[in-house]
Order: sequence, then structure tokens, then C-alpha cells
Amino acid sequence: MTQPLLGAPARCAVAVESVSKTFPGMRALDDVSFEIGRGSFHALLGGNGSGKSTLIKILAGVYQGDAGGSIRSGKEVVAAEAITPSWASRAGIRFVHQDLGLFGPMTVAENLFAGRPYPRTRAGSIDWPAMHREARRVLDAHGVEVSSRRLMSDLRPAEQTLVAIARCLFDVGSESVELLVLDEPTSRLPPAEVDELLESLDRYVAAGQSILYVSHRLNEILEHADVVTVLRDGKHIATRGMQGLDRAALTTMIVGAERDIARKREPRPIDPTVVMTVESLSSGPVREVGFDLHRGEVVGIAGLVGSGRTHLVETIFGVHRPVEGQVVVNDRRLRPGSIEGAIAAGLAYVPEDRAAHSAFRDLGLDMNLSAADLKRYRRGWFRRGAEVADGVADIARFAIRTPGVRAPLAQLSGGNQQKAVLARWLRRRPDVLLLDEPTQGVDVGARAEIYAQIEEAGRRGSAVLLVTSDLDELLHLSDRVLVMARGRLVDSAAGDAITRDWVATRMFAANQEES
Amino acid sequence: MSTQTEPVAREAGDQVAARRNERIGGPRMLELLERYGLVILLILVALFFTFWSHTSGVFPTSANLRNVAANESILVIVALAAMVPMVAERFDLSVGAIVATSAITTAKMLTAWNFPVVAGIVGGILVGAVIGLVNGVIIAHYNANSLVITLGMSTLLAGVGSYLTGNNTLLGVPQSLLNFGNLSWLGIPRPVWLFVIVALIVAFVLGGTVFGRRLLATGSNESAARLVGMPVSRTILIALVISGALSGLAGVLLLARTGSAAAGVGSGYTLPAVAAIFLGSTTIRPGRFTVIGTLVGVFFVAISVNGLTLAGAQDWVEPVFNGGAVVVAVAAAAILAKKRLGSAR
Repeated sequence: MTQPLLGAPARCAVAVESVSKTFPGMRALDDVSFEIGRGSFHALLGGNGSGKSTLIKILAGVYQGDAGGSIRSGKEVVAAEAITPSWASRAGIRFVHQDLGLFGPMTVAENLFAGRPYPRTRAGSIDWPAMHREARRVLDAHGVEVSSRRLMSDLRPAEQTLVAIARCLFDVGSESVELLVLDEPTSRLPPAEVDELLESLDRYVAAGQSILYVSHRLNEILEHADVVTVLRDGKHIATRGMQGLDRAALTTMIVGAERDIARKREPRPIDPTVVMTVESLSSGPVREVGFDLHRGEVVGIAGLVGSGRTHLVETIFGVHRPVEGQVVVNDRRLRPGSIEGAIAAGLAYVPEDRAAHSAFRDLGLDMNLSAADLKRYRRGWFRRGAEVADGVADIARFAIRTPGVRAPLAQLSGGNQQKAVLARWLRRRPDVLLLDEPTQGVDVGARAEIYAQIEEAGRRGSAVLLVTSDLDELLHLSDRVLVMARGRLVDSAAGDAITRDWVATRMFAANQEES
Repeated sequence: MSTQTEPVAREAGDQVAARRNERIGGPRMLELLERYGLVILLILVALFFTFWSHTSGVFPTSANLRNVAANESILVIVALAAMVPMVAERFDLSVGAIVATSAITTAKMLTAWNFPVVAGIVGGILVGAVIGLVNGVIIAHYNANSLVITLGMSTLLAGVGSYLTGNNTLLGVPQSLLNFGNLSWLGIPRPVWLFVIVALIVAFVLGGTVFGRRLLATGSNESAARLVGMPVSRTILIALVISGALSGLAGVLLLARTGSAAAGVGSGYTLPAVAAIFLGSTTIRPGRFTVIGTLVGVFFVAISVNGLTLAGAQDWVEPVFNGGAVVVAVAAAAILAKKRLGSAR
């Protein structure tokens, strides 16, 4: 499997040679070798548990590899077991993580200089004019069109990402940056800003910058990457040019078998029974939103970040008390601001941020699965045996990969944790299933399984309200799409009228019109 | 009908689970050491004092061990009291003050107001429960910081204690109550029976009731607990009421053992109780507050201090040991938690 590493140093920015990483009882990386060419947009793909994150942590010096491997960056070579963060930094490998590590309440200039000495005046105080001049120069050099005096938190997500990248590259002339590693940089960007970011990255690559780009979003990789490396189960599957690759081929490389997940849903007849009616709901950013949800129907909500989608779903579920309007489920009005009331009426909610709002990480998988339905096990005392048995059944039904039914949830991969959260609610056979970004940060394989479960829930009669930033997901699952902008519903379409272009243009146009 | 399908599903699932186990495995030895480290240490300390020439004469005698167990019975109940809200990450630092207040209330009822013994006992426990209710309403309903509220309550109760006793020691407790505190059943001191029963009940409430599960879920992720529809505020409130009632019971037991009550007698229990539950959280099920862990925590400190005292150690040894145990236990818990979360990735 080992590839010869004889490429001339000038052609190769970073080379990974025979790198392995063994954790107690688990081989996360198994003899992985590949090269990242200079000035190449190199994509790194793999499902959760493929070893992708481990490899990046080794490149960053956070983990050390097993003995026998090595990493080369420019002229520097290091044994895999001896790599440290300071080596990675000296060798010119820079990282922009998913969490950008920016300081919201500080200015762009202060963020750019974080970790660097501030320019000083002769008296020893900070030389603000010099700092802003320097910041302006760095921003211009990277084509970032924002003022150095603006607050970081006021910038759009794409602009924030670009500032984080500019901070890494800072001064391309004086510091030699061999490789820029970007970990899921687009996962929290609205679609319009994704293109903005990727176009900037294309410009950096054209100017000779090497980029290692980690993403679950295959479209971005198909459109922008030059070379792709795929890892699966810790093994190097392939490193090859993008010529002749399409979505299906990439998916096959990642999951190991062909799975059809990108096809758009066929229009189908919808049961006219109305399960839930939202009437003129206003709360926080949400303004007078009203719509019906029918039995077995999947309704997608499209909208830019900040359009109020999450707040809408939370308000329906009783997290916030609406200022105005109401929610009616099966002809009964929900008690405003009551989560317990919403659940009793047949609602279920999978929130966006799993770690903060849905995972009991230190409790067992079985306890996580039963959390929304504890009373089922109360017959005199708590029937632990029945709970464990149900957990075992759900592990099989939802194909949850786990060390055991009682294993703490933290020991499962993100995709499997998410399957457990979904399974928790599907146990209750909810009439209405509210999903907020149900596959964020979930690998392609687990994603297909989650889609299958959502569709199965629809067949059993649950109405599904789906908030997602992933257009493919929206198109794949939705019978009907509602477009939200600035807290209002601005458009809707069903069946064949839902197209990628329509969603993208309506979402963006509506945002412009309102402003 | 479900009984027919369950075994099949269980079998299929167990196979899945078994396969995963093989693949992922784990650092077994280290894990075992982490789990039973404190238990092993407790056994080693006990063995040491059994054979060490300075203590081997008295330490291993049944009279000494019975005495230690009976003495610690109050602390065990106070520690279990403080543990219940701690499972949901709420401190109750008023446990010691409640012990004193309840002891004083019962003493007052029995000596000054001539209530029957049973009424006095119930009164003491009830006073504890009411104080817990006040703590609970403020902490659960208004989401106030439990540390500060219970610390304030503790100070307030100390003042109330002085007022009730007029700074005198209340004496003259009926013999029947003293008998409970100082006699044995089947060769085992009655207070030991009491703490064993209390421990079993608390263990059942935590592990065998819906309330216990809600408490655990609240401690694990409060926001997630709310979002699956658990009545988080009510759960925390009930936990603090239980804590108050158990502290009240400990106060009555204190009165039964010593035959007297005075302002401030219980305040010394708060820190050792907290020390015991944090020590306990490093063992058996690391990262979780458990009844068995708390018992190990209490007796680890008690046995060590008892042995050292028998060997002629000075008075300052016990507070140093207790304080040291808190610091070491909390630090160890933090280090272990960091390691666990780090290795889970």
C-alpha cells in the first residue's frame, strides 16, 4: 500500500509516509501514505471514524503517530512519533478549525494580531494606527474586503472564516506557509456564502497556496478540488485527481458500497389530514408564521442563518412562549411555552446542537434512548430490564454502532450519537417530528441511514418539519419546501416546483427584498 | 405479547454488542484500577492498622470497629443527604446547619414542650424537610446559585439555633431515644442499622425510580433533560427536600447518640460530607455520585483517622485529613474526567 515518496520537494508541499496511529484496542490509522502537491486544492474525505480527524491531529502535533511513519513539510522531516505542535508550526502547517477561534467582541485587527506581538509605540503602549495599517495590508493581500475596525461578531460567517484564514496566512511573503488545513469550513455557512469562501480559496490556490480541505459536502469538492484523498476505517483508499469522478463514485469510495442518497424525492400524493397548524406565530425574530402540516408529509424549511428557522421550531416545541399566535396539534391548542405539553400532544424535537441540547454523554446508550419516555418503564418501580431490552432492539433497528448497550454515549461516533437521539423520539411514534439540522457533522453512511429512518417515520404517519442548510438534504427529503427570511415565510413550493435553483434564489432574493 | 419478541431482539442485539466489544475493547487494567483504587486503598489502610504494632492491639477489635461504624452513622446520613442534590449538580452546604437545627428542635420539643418521643422525631425530620423546601424553591424555581443560597441558609440557621437554645446546651432527652442511639440489635449498633436502611432507600430512589433517572439526566445535561420533557425544576426541588429531610434525620440521630443539643453542633458535618461524596465519585463508577462510593468515601477517612488517633496522633490530624481529602478528591475527579473525555475521542 505504501507509495514511494520520490516526488521532487519542489512539487510536493507535505508528504505523509506510512503513518499509523493505534489507540488502546483500536487502530485509528493504518499505514497511511500520500502527498499533497504544491499549489493544489487537496480534499480529504472519509466518514466518521475513518481516521480523518486523527490524521489532522497528527499533522497539528496534537497526537503523535506510531513509530515507523514520518511527515515531511517543505524541507523539514519528522518521525511520526516525535511530532509536536511547535514542529508543525515551524514546518509551516497552519490550521483553521471548525470552531474558528475568533474573539467576537474584538475588532478584526485585534483578531488578526491574536498570538502575535502587537505593534508598540516608543512609550510601550499599543500603536493602534500601525496595527490597523498592518491589518489593512494583510486583509488586502488576501482579498478580504472588511474594515479592520469592525467587530468580529458583526461580520457575516464567510467573512469571519476569511479573517481566520488571513490570520493563519498573515504575511505570505515573510512566513513560509507550506499547507493550510481547513476543517469543515463551510459547515456553518449559508449557501450563498459558501461560494464566496470557495472562490477565495480558489484564488489562494491559483497564487500557489496548498490547501488540505476537509468536508462532508461532496458538491464543493467536486467543483473545487484538484486532488482527493479518501480514508475509510483508518486505511488509505485512494489519492487521485478529480477527473472522471462524480458524486456517486466519491460516495462509493467513502462508504465502500454504492448508496443512492442524492436523488430528489418523487412527487407523491399527500394524506389531506392536517396534523399540526401553526397560526400567525410571532416570537423573538419569528414574525407571523403560519402553515399546515399533513400526515406523513415532510416539509423542509429553507433559509439563511439568522432567518429565524431554529427559533420557529423551538417556539413550536414550547421552548419559547410566543408573543402572538398559537400551535394546534390534532385539533387541540398547545399550551404556550410548555415543552411537556408539546411532547404530550405528540411532538418530538431533535435540536441542532447535540452536545448542548440532546446528548447525555456520560449516561449509557440505553438511558439516552429511553430519556423521552421514562414513564413507560414505571410499573411499581423502574423496570431496568425492559429498558435495556428496548435499547438492544433499537441498536439493531437503527444500526447503531456501539461498544455495548450500556456504553456511555460519549464512546459512540457523532453519527451514531445522532441516530440514538432520533431513535429516542421515534420510540414515541410522534405525530410531528421537528428536526433541526439532523445530519450536521454526520458522515455519508450514517446520513443515508438517518434519511431512511426519517422516511420510515413519514410512512408510519409522522409529519416531519425539517430545518436544514444542506440543499441536497432538503431536496432529497422534502415533499414541500417553505422559504423563510427575516423571520417570515416568504415562499413555498411542492413537488417538481422544488429545484435547487428555486430554493437558492428565493432564499437569497427574499433576504434582499426585505432589506 | 412483548415478552415473546424481546428475547429474540436481545439476542440479536447482544451479538451486535459483542462484536463491537471485540473491536473496540478498552484499557481494562487501568480502568479496573481507577474503579477500585479507593476500595483497595481502604483495605490496605485497614490491613496496615490491623498489623502495625502501634495499633494492632485496639484497631482490629470488634468494639473499636463497632464504635467507628456507630460514630460515622451520622456522617453517612449527612453525606447521603448532600449527595442527592449533587447528582443534579446542586450543592447543599446547609446539611450541617440542618443537623443542628433539627437536633435542637427535637430536643426542645421533648424537653421543654413535653411532646411524645415519636412526635419529636417526626418534628425534627419535618423541620429539615421544610428548610430543604425553602432551599429548593429558591434554587430550582428561580435558578439561583445553590452554593451561595445554601451557604447563606447555613449561616441563617446558625443564628436561629442560638436563639432557640439561648446559647445553652439542651439536656434531659428521654431514655428511649438515648437507647436507640447507643444500644445494639444482633450485636450491631442501632445507628448502623439506620444508616444501612437509609443507604438502601437512597440507592433505590436513585437507581430504581423515574425521579432518580431524572436527577441523573439533569446532572448529565440539564438543557437536554428539559428538551425531552423532564420536569427539571421540580426534580431539583424534590432533591433538596430529600436532602433536608435526611439531614433532619441525622440531627435526631445526633441527639439520640449524645443526649444533648446546642447551637452549632452540626456545622462540622458539612465539609466531611462533601469530602466523602467527592471521594466517592472517584471510585466504583468514576465521575458519578453513588451511594456505595459515598460509603467508601466516609469510611476511608474514618478508618484512616481512627487508626492515626489510636497511634497517638494529635487533634489537628482529623481536620487536616478531611480538608486534604476534599482537595485531593476533587482534583482527582477533575483529572480522571479530563482523561475519560480525552480518551473517548
